[in-house]
Amino acid sequence: MSEDAGNGRDIVFRVRDLCKDYRMGEVTVSALRGVTLDVAAGEFLVILGPSGSGKSTLLNIIGGLDAPTAGEVYFRDEVLTNYTDAQRTRYRRSRIGFVFQFYNLMPNLTAEENVALATEIADDPIAPIEALRLVGLEARRAHFPSQMSGGEQQRVAIARAVAKRPEILLCDEPTGALDFSTGKVVLEVLSDINVRLGTTLVVITHNAAIGGMGDRVVRMSDGHARDIVVNARRLTTDELEW
Amino acid sequence: MRVLHKKLLRALLKTPGQSLAVIMVVLCGTACYICIASAYRNLVLTRDTYYAQYRFADFEIYLERAPRTVAARLSAIPGARRVRGRIVKDVKVDVPGERESRIGRLISMPETPEPVLNDICLRRGRYFSEGAQNEVIVNERFALHNGLALGDRIDVSIESRRYPLRIVGLALSPEYVYMIRNVQELVPSFERFGILWVPEPFAETALDMREACNNIIGVVDEIAVLDGVLDRAEQTLESYGVFAKTKREDQISNRFLSDEIKGLGVSARIVPAIFQGIAALILLVLLNRMVRTERTQIGLLKAYGYTNLQVAVHYLQFALILAALGTVGAFGVGQWLAYEMVQIYVQFYQFPLLEARVYPDVLTRSVGIALGFAVLGALSAALRAARIHPAESMRPAAPRHAHRVWLERFTRVWRRLGFAGKMICRNISRNAFRAGISAFGVMVSAAILIVGFFTVDAFRYGLHMQFYEMQRHDLKVSFQLEQGKPTYYDVLRFAHVREAEPVLEYPFEMRNGWRKKDIIVTGLPRDARLQRLLDAEGAHVDVGEDGLSLDEHVARTLGVAVGDRVTLKPLMGRIKKEREVVVRRVYRQYLGIGAYMNIDALSRLLDEPFAMNAALLRTEKGRNADADVVLRDVAAIASIVSRDRAYQAVLDTIAQSMKVMNVMLVLFAGVIAFAVIYNVTSVSLAERQRELASLRVMGLTISEVGRILYVENFVLGGLGLIAGFPCGFALCRLLIRAYDSDLYRLPFHIEPRTLIVTTILTIAFILIANLAVNVKVRRLDLVEVLKERE
Ligand SMILES: Nc1ncnc2c1ncn2[C@@H]1O[C@H](COP(=O)(O)OP(=O)(O)O)[C@@H](O)[C@H]1O
Ligand SMILES: [Mg+2]
Repeated sequence: MSEDAGNGRDIVFRVRDLCKDYRMGEVTVSALRGVTLDVAAGEFLVILGPSGSGKSTLLNIIGGLDAPTAGEVYFRDEVLTNYTDAQRTRYRRSRIGFVFQFYNLMPNLTAEENVALATEIADDPIAPIEALRLVGLEARRAHFPSQMSGGEQQRVAIARAVAKRPEILLCDEPTGALDFSTGKVVLEVLSDINVRLGTTLVVITHNAAIGGMGDRVVRMSDGHARDIVVNARRLTTDELEW
Repeated sequence: MRVLHKKLLRALLKTPGQSLAVIMVVLCGTACYICIASAYRNLVLTRDTYYAQYRFADFEIYLERAPRTVAARLSAIPGARRVRGRIVKDVKVDVPGERESRIGRLISMPETPEPVLNDICLRRGRYFSEGAQNEVIVNERFALHNGLALGDRIDVSIESRRYPLRIVGLALSPEYVYMIRNVQELVPSFERFGILWVPEPFAETALDMREACNNIIGVVDEIAVLDGVLDRAEQTLESYGVFAKTKREDQISNRFLSDEIKGLGVSARIVPAIFQGIAALILLVLLNRMVRTERTQIGLLKAYGYTNLQVAVHYLQFALILAALGTVGAFGVGQWLAYEMVQIYVQFYQFPLLEARVYPDVLTRSVGIALGFAVLGALSAALRAARIHPAESMRPAAPRHAHRVWLERFTRVWRRLGFAGKMICRNISRNAFRAGISAFGVMVSAAILIVGFFTVDAFRYGLHMQFYEMQRHDLKVSFQLEQGKPTYYDVLRFAHVREAEPVLEYPFEMRNGWRKKDIIVTGLPRDARLQRLLDAEGAHVDVGEDGLSLDEHVARTLGVAVGDRVTLKPLMGRIKKEREVVVRRVYRQYLGIGAYMNIDALSRLLDEPFAMNAALLRTEKGRNADADVVLRDVAAIASIVSRDRAYQAVLDTIAQSMKVMNVMLVLFAGVIAFAVIYNVTSVSLAERQRELASLRVMGLTISEVGRILYVENFVLGGLGLIAGFPCGFALCRLLIRAYDSDLYRLPFHIEPRTLIVTTILTIAFILIANLAVNVKVRRLDLVEVLKERE
C-alpha cells in the first residue's frame, strides 16, 4: 500500500493478502479478498466502509477472534495467524481491548465490577475506579448496566477494555447504536485514551464523518482495502459534521 | 407438514442434548412404571389364579391332636364352606451322600388324588400309587438343590425310627410360594428345607396319629365371616389343644408375597411420579425460557392471525413430543426390566407359571402419566405464550433489574469474592426459581441414593444384630419332646460341643385387655450367654429371675410397658390355666417377634420343675459341621440349625437382588441429577451466552468462563446435597414405618459410608453434567454471538 503507516513509528500489525471465505453449503461468501495493510503503534486508524464490506471480519482476525482462509497477519514479529486457540486467548487477554456496537456488559455486575472483570485477569491493570474516571463515569461505579443509558454503558465497556492496559484497542462500530451527541462523547473518550495512554486505536465505522478524527482512514469495499487517506490533522468531535 | 410443526422440530433439534435429557428422565420414569406395574399385575394375577386353582385355604389351625372327624363338625359352622384335617410335622431328613441333615415338613395327602384344599401342583412324576407306603412327593426346588431325581431315596427320621421314602413326584403348593420354614429365616433355603407330601396312611402310622390330625385348614364363604368362624372353631376344638390359628393374611408365604405386592403397588405410584415430576420441572424451565426468547415471534404469529390457543398448543406440543419419545423408548426398556424382575421373582417365589407378559392397559396408562406430567410442566409456558399481546411483544421486554444480594451487606466477604463469585451470587438470586430447581433436582437425587443405600445398611445391620449380637451360639438343636435336666448334661458331652445352654420354647396367647397376640415365649437361664437380649442402646438385658422380657414391637402392639401385667394362656399341652405375668424388661429385635423369660420361671408356669425342648450350642472353632454330623444321629433331636449358614443364606439370597437394585438406583439418581443440572445450566448458558462470549473475547479461557457456570452448579448442588440428607432420612423413616410388621422391622441405621458414597456420587453427577455443559461452552461461537442483537 502506498501510504506509509506513519512517520517512522513501530509497526504493530502487518496484514498481508488476507482472505476470508465463509462456506455456507454450496455458496461461498468471500468476506476478505486479499487485504494488505499496516497498523502503526499508537496511531488512531479508522476503517471505513459500507455494511458487508468485511470490516468486522478484518478486525476479528486482527483481534484473534477468528482465523483467515489465506494470508497472514504479523503481530510485531510473530505470525498471529499461526496461533493456536490457547495462544490466541492469551494474546487477547494481554494485548487487546475490544469494544463492540453492543456493550455486552454483565447485567449482574455493577459498572465497577464489570471493569474489575478485566483487571482481575490482567498483570498490570489500571484500578477499576481509575478506568471509570478515564471515561468520566466514576460517579456511576455502583450502578448496574440496566440503570445506565446506552452511551454510559458503552463508556463502561471502554473502561473495561482499557483497564488492563492493552496495547491495542479495537472498536467495531462503537457508536453504531448511539445517537449523535452520545456518540460524540464516546468518540472523544476513545481519542483521549489514544492520546493519553498511547494505545493503538482501530475504529470501524460506516460513518464517513468519523474518518476525520483518525490519523489515517482505510476505505474498504467488497472485501478489499481500496485506499488509505492520511489526515493532516485530527479533527475534534466538535468539528465533525454528522 | 405445517410450518409451525417445522419450527417445533427445529427447536427440538437445536438443543439435542437438552431434549435427550428430558427424554431420558421420562424414559426412566415410564420404564419404572411399566416394570413395577407389570410386576404388580403379574404377581396379583398369578397369585389369584394359583390360589383359586389349587384351593388355597382361608385359615389354618395348629393343634395337638384331634380326631379326623372333627373336620366334619367344623364344616358345619355357618359360614365355613370346607374344612380339611391333615397331619403336618417337621422331621429330620437325610439325603443320601450329604453329611448334614435337612428339615422336611411332612404333610399328609389323600392316597388317591382328590381336589383337596391346599392341593399340590404336580410338576413331574406322578401321584402315589395305590397302597404304597414308602412313596413321597417333594417340592421341586428341594429336589433340584439336593440333586434328587424321580426314583431317588431319602430317609426320614421320626422318633428313633428311620423311614426310607422313594420320590415319585415333584410338586408345588400355594402354601409355599415363598418357601421359608419360619419367619426368622426370612429367605428360602431350598437345600435345607423341603416339603414332603406323603400318603395319609404313612403319616398316621409313622407319627402315631391314627384317624387323627394336628392341622386343620378351611375356606369360608366370605372373608367377612372369617373371624366368627375361627372363634367358633376354637370353641369346638377347645379340648384338642389349639396352639395357633392363622388367617390367610398371616400365613407366612402369603404374607411375604402380599407384602411384596403391596410394596410394588406403592412404588408404582411413587417412583414414576418422582421422575415425571422432575421431567415436568425441567420442561417448565426449558419452555418458559423458550417463550421468553420467542416473544417477538409469538407476537408476529398472532399478528398474522394465529389464535392464542394455537400458540399455546404449539408449546404444549414441544413437551408432548419429548414425553412421547421417552415413553416409546420406555416400552422396550420397561418390558425388558419387567422381564428381569420376573426372573428375580422366579428365584424367590415358586409359581407353576410366572412369566413376563405385556399388559396393554399398563402401557396405555404409562403414556397417560408421562403425557399428563409433560402438560403440567408445559402449562405455565403455554399460558404465558397465550397471554402475549402482539403489539406489546414488538417492544423490547422490560429489562430485569439486577439488584444487590444480602451477602453484599457483609462488605468484607463480598470484596473477597472476585467477579466470578459476585456473578454467581447475583445470578442465583436473580434466577432464584431456576436455581431452586437445580438444587431440588440434586436433593431428590441424593435422597434416592440415601434411601437406596439405607435399605442395604438397615437390612445388614438388623441381620447382624439378630444373628451375631443377639445369637451367640453356633448351633441350635430342637428336641422331639420336652426334656429334663439330664439331657442338658448329655448335650454338653457331645463331641466338639464347647458350651451349651438349655432353651424352653412354648407357645402362648398373650393378652392385655382386648389386645392379644400368639407368641412363642422362650425360656433362657439367668445370665444366658448364648442368646442375649439387647435394648435400643445395645445394652445387655438379662431375663432375670421372673417376669417377661418383651420385644419393643410386641410391647407396642399389646400396649404394655415395663411394670404392666399380661395374661398368658398356654396354647399347647394339658395345662389350660391362664397366668398373669409382669413385664419386667423391654428389648429390641428386628426379625420376627419375641418374648423371653427365665427358663425356671417358665417351667414353673407350666407346672414343671424344669423343662427344655431345645439347646443352644457353641462348638469348638471350625468344628461346626462335625458337631452337626454327630448330632444328626441323635434320635431325640428333631432339627439342627446352624447360625452361620442361616445368616449366609439370607445374605446370599438378598445380596444379589440388592446389588441389582442399587445399580438401578444409582443410575436413576444419576439421570435425575444430570438432566436437571444439564438443562438448567444449558438454559442459563443460552440466556447468558452474550456475556459469557464477551468474557472469552476479553481473553478468559474456556475453563475460566466455564468455571462461572460450574461453581454455580456446585454451590447449588452442594445446597441440594445438604438438603438431600434430611430429606433422605425422612424418607427412610417413612420406609421404616411402612415396613413395620411382625415379620421384620428396619432399624434406622445408616452407615457413614452411605453418606460418603452419596456425596461422592452426587459430586460425580454434577461433574458429568458440567463436562457436558463444557462442550457447549467450547462450541460458543464468539464472532456469531457478538453479532446478534440482544
Ligand atoms: N459467519 C458468516 N457466515 C457467512 N457469511 C458471513 C459470516 N460473517 C460475515 N459474513 C459475510 O461476510 C461479509 C463481510 O461481513 P462483515 O465483515 O461483517 O462486514 P462489515 O462488518 O463490513 O459489515 C458479508 O457479506 C457477510 O454477509
Ligand atoms: Mg460489521
